[in-house]
Amino acid sequence: MSRAFAIVNSYGRHTDVKGMQDYRPVSAFMFCGRYRLIDFALSNLSNSGIDRIQVYVGQNPRSLAEHLADGRIYNLNAKRGKLQLLFNQDSNENDIYNTDVAAYRANLDIIERAKQPYVIITPGYMVFRQNFEDFLQAHIDSGADITLLYHKVNNAKEHYRNMNILNLNRQKGVKSIENNKGTADERNISMSTLVMSKDLFISLINKAAKTSSVYRLIDIINDELENLDVRGYQHKGHFAAVYDFRSYYGANMELLDVDEAKELFSDDWPFYTQTTDAAPVHYFPGGKAHHSMIANGTHVEGVIENSIIGRDVTIMKGAYIKNSIILGHDLIGENAHIENQVIDKWVKIIHAKEIVAPDDDPGYIRREDTL
Amino acid sequence: MILAGGRGSRLKDLTKKVAKPAVPFGGKYHIIDFPLSNCANSGISVVGVLTQYESVLLNSYVSVSSRWGLDTRDSGVFVLPPREKADADLDVYRGTADAISQNIDFIDSYNPEYLLILSGDHIYKMDYDAMLSFHKDNKADATIAVIGVPMKEASRFGIMNTNEDGQIVEFEEKPEHPKSNLASMGIYIFTWKLLRRVLMQDMKDDNSHHDFGKDIIPTLLKDNRKLMAYQFKGYWKDVGTIDSLWEANMDLLERSSELNLEDNTWKIYSENTNELPQYIDTDADIDVAYITQGCKVFGKVKTSVMFTGSIVERDAAITDTVLMPGAEVGEGASVTRALIANGVKIGKGAVVGSPDSEHILLVSKNVPEGAVVKEAQ
Repeated sequence: MSRAFAIVNSYGRHTDVKGMQDYRPVSAFMFCGRYRLIDFALSNLSNSGIDRIQVYVGQNPRSLAEHLADGRIYNLNAKRGKLQLLFNQDSNENDIYNTDVAAYRANLDIIERAKQPYVIITPGYMVFRQNFEDFLQAHIDSGADITLLYHKVNNAKEHYRNMNILNLNRQKGVKSIENNKGTADERNISMSTLVMSKDLFISLINKAAKTSSVYRLIDIINDELENLDVRGYQHKGHFAAVYDFRSYYGANMELLDVDEAKELFSDDWPFYTQTTDAAPVHYFPGGKAHHSMIANGTHVEGVIENSIIGRDVTIMKGAYIKNSIILGHDLIGENAHIENQVIDKWVKIIHAKEIVAPDDDPGYIRREDTL
Repeated sequence: MILAGGRGSRLKDLTKKVAKPAVPFGGKYHIIDFPLSNCANSGISVVGVLTQYESVLLNSYVSVSSRWGLDTRDSGVFVLPPREKADADLDVYRGTADAISQNIDFIDSYNPEYLLILSGDHIYKMDYDAMLSFHKDNKADATIAVIGVPMKEASRFGIMNTNEDGQIVEFEEKPEHPKSNLASMGIYIFTWKLLRRVLMQDMKDDNSHHDFGKDIIPTLLKDNRKLMAYQFKGYWKDVGTIDSLWEANMDLLERSSELNLEDNTWKIYSENTNELPQYIDTDADIDVAYITQGCKVFGKVKTSVMFTGSIVERDAAITDTVLMPGAEVGEGASVTRALIANGVKIGKGAVVGSPDSEHILLVSKNVPEGAVVKEAQ
């Protein structure tokens, strides 16, 4: 049995994905044609032998609750393991009150009852592979109070806007935590993944609440950097965060690169998700695909290029899809030309023949729309 | 009760280590997914699977009843290999009827009014509940599903001769001069009380083959029991040979395939694999194909079916071919009219099969780089 239980968050402070987020939390977004973003966090935990998991669900919980069910798909031990969905009443008066700390405090009794001495907190809206048992062991061996997972990047001027960055000293001690304002390319992006003892966690969330009603866990840690031994732990391998529409689009598309995909997916570290028993992809005469990922249940009679197609999509004769992400259950009608689009679920493109956005500014088609 | 004990020896190396019902089909399925999904979709919630030949994989596969949604209260999939009992020695299933006889205690425990008997090695979609209604409406003692086959092929099947009411008057196993084209599909509904009695007698009969076709059906006819033929219309295939297994896979490529696995109102359920969606590379050329999750295509795929995790490398080409799970076709290789078994690797530049072969080439061993394989290994 692991020495840690886990908390999975479904929203970050600066996450704002236009359109899609109206229908489901970011962690429930479709990813790479068949996954939902939260599958990565939960599979990482399950593969690391951590089988007591609390998932904090924010607004629009339906799709997430439906997807996670009892957690059986994540290969969690049916008797010893447990996946809990924890809801908290989000405040309607002002969104600033809806912090992770408020959600933890609303479920404090459950956190206190956990038998494991350590807690690992990880977000449901980032894509990476990490053995959390190694992460926990490194934390224990170092004697640190808190260990934060980070990813070193060299393109922070243009990307990761408003995500937290860690300033580290040579011993990987965290000197300060700040927002990425895009002033430098070389940055240590915080992966919002941390480990500490359960007792410290409880005292920090209480302290945060006492300090300010809008404080998040990371704010109180930032305040306490002088008093606590907080260290960074570098993540290596593929890493993507979804914090806005562009990053969602990019995180999907970059996995069309075969070598990049190998960094994330490997046979010995499966990522689990819900099955729908969809039939294999059927290519009819004229149906072609190039540099694309296509999920089962799809009918291809048109041409797909550099795109990701979700489950049960019908692409009719003469249709041409380029640089696009189609989430699932959509109909792309005859001779439709789709370029640089994210098409949400259950969309029908029947009348519109040309839906083309510029390369650097992909468009979004709303769920259940008929065009 | 699904009869799943047969070896299916005409499938050669494909059934060397697994029973025929566990043989993969249609990209992501196993043959036994068809009767099991049909049961689930027909509202039949208790299913016994009678296994015998090389049953380890098959037993573990079917025992996860949640795959077919047969895991709710009062439902389940029961794996039933031959077993030792307090009052009977351990004995193999001596025939299809004996497999049922040896499990009379299991069937009795559910106290059923009717018993549906299926074969675990056919590809089709069928609503057994409609057949049961037919059985009840006709107050039949037994109902046998039949399908019209071309007259010239009728002598390969068990043929049912019926009167104008659809009542079976005669059964002929592989007749030389068939009188009708109604072939038995190996799907039976019996009124359990009667079948139970007949099976008890059959068990004691040393001259019996303990087989439904050879013994039980003729006995019922001799006793003037009411046997009805239930005519099935639709896709049905006994995938007993490499050629017919290949053909059934190729049938999936048809636009209006009668089997239509894409019909969401009658899904065929299978195991969930943790593979990525298929990846089709920039230079890939697909020309009519059925390709499932976990496949990678870098070369050319023409009128072919690719099973889970199979790969066609750069400049390789497959035509009229079935790649079973994990099969890989190396760079520059070409494969034509072949069925490549699970996990088999075709080396770079190899040439396998030929467009004018009489039979489909089964390849069950790795093919070395540059080799030319035209005939069975």
